[in-house]
Amino acid sequence: MKLNFIAYWFIVFLSVIAPCHARADLVVVTGPKTGVPTLSKEEVVNIYLGRYRRLSNGLPAEPLDMGEASETKKEFYWRLVEKTPAEINAYWARLVFSGQTRPPATVKSNDEVAARLMSRPGVLAYIERDKLDKRFVILYEFER
Amino acid sequence: MALLVGGVSSYLISQSLREREQRQAIRSLSEVLETVQSTASIAAFTNDNQLADEVIQGLLRNSDILSVTIIAGDTVLANGIRSSATVFAPELMDKPLSQSLASPFNKNETIGKIILQADWPKIEARVKQSTLDTLYLLLAEMLIVVLSVAAVMVFFVIRPIKKVSDRLHQIEPGLGSSIRVPEGHEKTEIGRLVSDINDLTGRQMTLLEEARAMQQQQQVAQRKYQNLFDCAASGIFVVDRDGHLDSFNQAFATLIWRSKPVNQENLSLFDAAWSRSDLIRSLLVLALEQETIGRIVTDDFLLLGRRGEERWLNIAVTAPGDGTLQGTMTDVTARKREEMHARQLASLDALTGFANRQGLLEAIGQHLARDHAQTSFALLMLNLDGFKQINESFGVPAGDEVLGIVAERIRQFIQPGDIPARSGGDEFVILFDGASPESAVDQRLNQFLSLLQQSHAMMTLEGTRVISLRASAGVAFYPQDGTNVHQLLRSAELALMSARTAGSHTYHFFEPSMLVAVEHRRRIEDDLKHAIGEGELYLGFQPIINLVTGEVVGAEALMRWAHPTRGMVSPDVFIPLAEEIGVIGELGLLVLENACQVVSQWRSAGHSLYVSVNVSALQIPNLLTPSIVLEALKRHGLPNDAIVIEITEGVLMGNIGTALEWMAELGAAGLRIYLDDFGTGYSSLSYLKRFPLHAVKIDKSFIRDLAEDSHDKALVNAIITMATSLTLDVIAEGVETEVHFKMLRDMGCHFGQGFLFSPAVKAELFAETVVDIEQRLALMNAGG
Repeated sequence: MKLNFIAYWFIVFLSVIAPCHARADLVVVTGPKTGVPTLSKEEVVNIYLGRYRRLSNGLPAEPLDMGEASETKKEFYWRLVEKTPAEINAYWARLVFSGQTRPPATVKSNDEVAARLMSRPGVLAYIERDKLDKRFVILYEFER
Repeated sequence: MALLVGGVSSYLISQSLREREQRQAIRSLSEVLETVQSTASIAAFTNDNQLADEVIQGLLRNSDILSVTIIAGDTVLANGIRSSATVFAPELMDKPLSQSLASPFNKNETIGKIILQADWPKIEARVKQSTLDTLYLLLAEMLIVVLSVAAVMVFFVIRPIKKVSDRLHQIEPGLGSSIRVPEGHEKTEIGRLVSDINDLTGRQMTLLEEARAMQQQQQVAQRKYQNLFDCAASGIFVVDRDGHLDSFNQAFATLIWRSKPVNQENLSLFDAAWSRSDLIRSLLVLALEQETIGRIVTDDFLLLGRRGEERWLNIAVTAPGDGTLQGTMTDVTARKREEMHARQLASLDALTGFANRQGLLEAIGQHLARDHAQTSFALLMLNLDGFKQINESFGVPAGDEVLGIVAERIRQFIQPGDIPARSGGDEFVILFDGASPESAVDQRLNQFLSLLQQSHAMMTLEGTRVISLRASAGVAFYPQDGTNVHQLLRSAELALMSARTAGSHTYHFFEPSMLVAVEHRRRIEDDLKHAIGEGELYLGFQPIINLVTGEVVGAEALMRWAHPTRGMVSPDVFIPLAEEIGVIGELGLLVLENACQVVSQWRSAGHSLYVSVNVSALQIPNLLTPSIVLEALKRHGLPNDAIVIEITEGVLMGNIGTALEWMAELGAAGLRIYLDDFGTGYSSLSYLKRFPLHAVKIDKSFIRDLAEDSHDKALVNAIITMATSLTLDVIAEGVETEVHFKMLRDMGCHFGQGFLFSPAVKAELFAETVVDIEQRLALMNAGG
């Protein structure tokens, strides 16, 4: 009885916190000419946080970021490295002075994302699954 | 010392300070490292050497840091060395601080490290400086404390103590003067110390005075003791454990050497002519063994004079505890002589010069103390036959003479090693040393008994008499007949008793059956005591007949004992027993009472009969006094002639005066007294004249062979004739045949009793028996 009680409250707790992080179903995509089948989570981290900017086939990687106030951006970084956009900004702030690496380029809308993805190979972006275009190639899917 | 302590403590302090400074430096460097860690890890994550360089430059701004290296993966991302590094000390390079760098996005993933080299010489220099500063500070502080403590010591302790010490030096010892307390110290420890010292000197004065007084007293005492020592009549001496004399007085010298020897050095207690100086040596050893309890041990020792005279000296020594021995010495020669004399007296029989009983016991004890396996000896116990009669008839001097003769003959007979003794009365004991085979003893005893039997002429009051000594003897052998003194004597005594029972002038060897016989007798004694209480004893009455008229005139009361298991027991057995165990008086009263009762019944039935009762010598005069007899007669309403007293010659042989008196008193009251068993003992005719007797009873041993033995006939005839002439009645005992009856009647014997007429019968059958006898006699008379 007691166990059931604890289990009940655990379920309640999960149902309260889960929506915060599992609201949107995000995927990392690229254009059709990039030529890389998938990426691991670690590769996504390295590319987005400026460690490497090169894909496994040697193509330079060009990640796209959403605007500052974007919920999708917030969701993406949280699910990727459990950091808030402010923390990500602080991170980049220390690196930009050396000039050796730059943060991902910011885009303003989904349309711009699509345009950039289509423009040349090696461009990467994160979008909600329901905004998927048939031309996009999914490189990485967050676990649901 | 202080320097050493100061140096060591300074060194320890500086060490600890140094370590602390170093730890502090390392900690602060670690903290610095932590502040740059996140930036360094970002630099390593992104391989941003510029960012890394910036971090390094920032760190190098800290003057303690000599160089910094940031490594990403396996490659050096950036490194920097302080340009102003003073000394490059390789021995310190092995202590770099290293911190691994984790990925900024994954704490578990190590992506590089940051290595920091501290500028140790510089840190060392700083540490040294700081340590030195601290030490100087400490030293200064210590100096101040030491100085102030020293000042306090000087002013408050050392100077007052010096003052006290100076004053103590000025004190005259033994005069009891006191010292003054230093000013201002009346209430401090110094003040108390001074007053304690004053107390002590005061007490010391008292002690000194006491010691002086005691010394004086001791001197007086010593003079006194010296006088005592010099003038004492007893010898006083001090020796060591080997007998060397340390000091001694004049008396001691006189006792031992007659005079004080000139040379007093190296004298020994053992120099004197002791007969056994080894005994003295062991006395000294004994005293030394008891040193702790200080007991005095003492003993007598024999000193032999120049001309062989004996001197007994008593020596008493005690060990005071310093290894020496103090002793006194007294001449006890006189006491010793007396003791020896007394001991001789105590163990010697004066009459014979033999050992007495005590001496005998000692002698046997000594023989027993020898080696058992080799010891064997025989004890001969000897008892003269009829000695009592000799004593009584001829007087005690005659008895003593007899004992002297026996002793003389024993002396002739014994061999060296044998020990003769007179153990009491006429009892002699001879210890035959080494006598083993019975046959040898047998032969010797036979020789001895015949030697003893040789006639001896003896002067008595009644003229010279020739006597022939006869004795009985019992022999017991050691060890088979007993292993201790008492068993042996008891065995010999039993053998002697057995020999006496068997007859005169013989000897028996002890046999175990004798013990059985003694046991048997003891049981009969018990039974007899029991029988008296239980009424197993009763009276039988044997008729006494007037041989002329054929009438029954009376009866002799005879005691009978129907023992429940042994059947009838003979009076010959139980009467002597009763005498021996002291129940004869009781038994006598029983007989008298019973006899009176029976005769009174007869009298009331019209028979004017009397009853004679046997009285033992032991009953006269106290166990059966005339008044008891007369009272019994009176109580049963009987005239005094109804009871007749029968006595034996034994009664007359004892104390004649007493017996005479007793008989006279009863005779005067009208009782008749018969002399029983006449002819068996001494049968002195003088008895018949001297005692108030009424009849003699001829013993049945003379009657038995009357018809065949002419001697017996002559004797009986003589007795009858003589008695008749003395107006005494004659009663023949043991009349068993008609021939006896007729012969006696014809010889003029008036009365008789015996189986011809009737054995003793129970009282209730008596009347019947009387009728039967009188009828038979009438027939006999008619026939004869």
